[in-house]
Amino acid sequence: MVDLLPFLVSGLGIGAVYALSGVGLVVLYRSSGVLNFAFGALGAIGAYVAWSLLDEDWPQWLAWASAVGTAMVLSLAYGRLLAPRLSHRDPTIRSIGTLGFALIVMGFTEWYWGAQPRRLVLPTDAEALEFADVRLTYTRVLGLALALAMMAGIGLLLSRTRIGLKMRALANDRDLSALLGLRVLQVDTVAWVLSGAFAGVCGLLLANIVRLQATLLTFLVIPAFAAAIMGRLNSLPVTVAAGISIGVLEALAITVPGFAPYRTAVPFLVALAAILFFRSDARKA
Amino acid sequence: MIELNQVSVAFWGVKAIDGLTASLSAPVCGLIGPNGAGKTTLVNLLSGLVPAAEGTVHVQGTPLLGMKPIARVRFGVRRSFQTEQVVEDLSVWDNVRAVLDHVPHERASVPAQLAEILDYTGLTSVATRPGQQLNLFQRRMVEVAKALVGQPKLLLFDEPGAGLTEQESQLLRAAIIGIPPRFGAQVLLIDHDVDLIKATCTQTLVMDFGRRLALGPTAEVLEDPDVRRAYLGT
Amino acid sequence: MMSYEQTLSPSAAAGPGELQQALARAASEARRSWLTMLLLLSLLALALPWLANAYWIKSLISAMALAVAAAGVALLYGQLGLVTLCQHALLGAGGWVALRLSHGLQLPFELCVLAAGATSCLIGMLAGLPALRMKGLYLALVTLMMAGGFQVVISATGFPDGGEGWLGRVVGSERLMMARPALALSDAAYFRYVVICLALVLSLIELHRRTKAGRSWALIRRGEAAAVSAGVNILLYQTWAFGLAGFCAGVSGALLAGGVGQLDGRAFGAGDSVMTFALSVVGGVYHWLGPIIAGLLMRAVPSLLSDYNVSGFLADIFFGAALLHALITAPQGVAGQLVYGLTALRRRITGRPA
Repeated sequence: MVDLLPFLVSGLGIGAVYALSGVGLVVLYRSSGVLNFAFGALGAIGAYVAWSLLDEDWPQWLAWASAVGTAMVLSLAYGRLLAPRLSHRDPTIRSIGTLGFALIVMGFTEWYWGAQPRRLVLPTDAEALEFADVRLTYTRVLGLALALAMMAGIGLLLSRTRIGLKMRALANDRDLSALLGLRVLQVDTVAWVLSGAFAGVCGLLLANIVRLQATLLTFLVIPAFAAAIMGRLNSLPVTVAAGISIGVLEALAITVPGFAPYRTAVPFLVALAAILFFRSDARKA
Repeated sequence: MIELNQVSVAFWGVKAIDGLTASLSAPVCGLIGPNGAGKTTLVNLLSGLVPAAEGTVHVQGTPLLGMKPIARVRFGVRRSFQTEQVVEDLSVWDNVRAVLDHVPHERASVPAQLAEILDYTGLTSVATRPGQQLNLFQRRMVEVAKALVGQPKLLLFDEPGAGLTEQESQLLRAAIIGIPPRFGAQVLLIDHDVDLIKATCTQTLVMDFGRRLALGPTAEVLEDPDVRRAYLGT
Repeated sequence: MMSYEQTLSPSAAAGPGELQQALARAASEARRSWLTMLLLLSLLALALPWLANAYWIKSLISAMALAVAAAGVALLYGQLGLVTLCQHALLGAGGWVALRLSHGLQLPFELCVLAAGATSCLIGMLAGLPALRMKGLYLALVTLMMAGGFQVVISATGFPDGGEGWLGRVVGSERLMMARPALALSDAAYFRYVVICLALVLSLIELHRRTKAGRSWALIRRGEAAAVSAGVNILLYQTWAFGLAGFCAGVSGALLAGGVGQLDGRAFGAGDSVMTFALSVVGGVYHWLGPIIAGLLMRAVPSLLSDYNVSGFLADIFFGAALLHALITAPQGVAGQLVYGLTALRRRITGRPA
């Protein structure tokens, strides 16, 4: 078992990011009915902004803030400017629209910064915790802590605050909520901004853990989709558990002989299995 | 001829239809009752969209409940919906042809069959127009036309007259009355328009709370004190 | 006999004669559209090899091969409203089969193409089965997962290039190019060959659209209630559509392999399938011209940009914006807008009423 510990820990690290991404996706889906395929791309551009700032020797907190801020602003821009133009179409089209947005953001990122892979080195990488053969950089510790904090925070927001109540109402029945006087735009804005914040944080963490490359980061969101699907696009606790499990399984898969090159397929396999088993919940209304 | 014997349909513990027994023999038979009485549920049962918890159904002697919905369409049970189901980008001709595709028919006589049905429903002049260019009355007539293809046995019309003007309603009435002698099919008609029911149906079944409230000649049924109390409000 | 023509449309009291005429007109319009497609493709097949240089003819071969795959996407989305985000992966699977059979068994090119089509047809149908009762969004996600999974697998295994064993990979010695059909060895000839295949595939799809299948698909698109009450076997027709779309992908993969000679395992990411879907929508999903435009967008535009030394990533921005535009304002795509414009022009010239 000791042999597996490094893999477990590293799996927890990336699994926490998958879980966080999953939560960001589900919160937005539940409030606005849109599954944001651009989630990864928003994280990517945020990470690149941070990289540029760090390259110019700006302070780390500013880099983090800019990354998250960029993602939030872009997310808000889509949510307020483009998403309303599709709001009367069926749910699939509304989500496919974000695919277009993902292509735009990804294309811009690759054009401006170039497509070659980079490392996003954060100053917190310099120090690390070490125990039992495992080395956890402070970035990862920070990431895990942040992930836990954000997930707890969103849980509290949804259950204890008025805006959270409104978001849940909107998710439950959009038209009825509007009729009841809920300010749909206001709640939508909050949902898109929050989701953008999650995207920004996840982008930074993933860029640090894996590498900084636009296409990779954009499609690294797919395991987050897997986690979200397992939560039936609805339950946050299940999404979190699923995300962490997927991360851990993916890391442990390295130890399976012969399977190592294919280990990044683990999220897809898990998601496919989940969809097939939960078909009854995925039925059309 | 529709024979219902102790039919029950339940949704999550609520009995939408409760022990319904009735023999509907009139060429055009009415089905009325307050909202929630189980009328649409009965039509859904007959067309196969909901299962029966108990009981049997026979249409012209053939047991219906074992048949899958598509098989019932082939057998000859057709229905229309409260919200019309015309395909916007197909022409009227194709909309009706689409049903004929899936029921037993003679390939050679397809154009003649369709022409006859379109003529009967007054849709000949709009036959090549796409569905999205039709007005409400034309759409409802397309629904009637779709039900008439390929030797139907039983037509279930769910509020076909909703939203029509008085004149259009008259035309619909004439079309419905003409179906049994012309096409040899029985018609079961749900509607809230009592005048439409009086004008077209010789026999009427009244339902309330999933049960049979009254069954008999339309005029008698509408005079029944129980019916008046439950449905007509007098 | 009842007759309501006088009341429904007093100005057009139509008899059976007029109905025949209207039907004949509709049928001849359909036929004319199909003949226009054949004419356009014939022109492309004849003219382009003369006009294009060596580099461009290779791009155009790929463009036409990709158009076949786009036709499959257009079929699923245009006829059934289903979003498939794994078409490029199915194309890769087809290409893999074609390459393995060609290198390993030296089968004739046509057989390799058909085998590729059959393989992807089968996979497509299997992918479609769980989709039967699913919300459209879940289908998009399932296909995206499949594309992601394929990306991982093909990056690790690569494409066959003349070697032994299951994977057919060559170690050390020279990698083989896929053998082209005997009649179409040169690039110009192969281009014509691909255009003929495209014409056949588009014709097959048109045939479906205009007959029982197309009508059944239209009913399914309208809704489950509409389809069931018309007696349509939804499972059968939906699976058939998935199979046909898969067939398109497989054939496309084989044609692409023959055109380029070798396929690169690193070029079949999930993003490529997303791009295939996006450009099929931009090209237009309701008309045969759409896939042709989509194929050109997929391959010819990047080539054009590199001719002018413009970064290919700007194309991505443009395509993303084009997808949003197509979804928001122009659901019929470029093809639809072109056809609409041409029809309006023709009406104005000939003075024919609407």
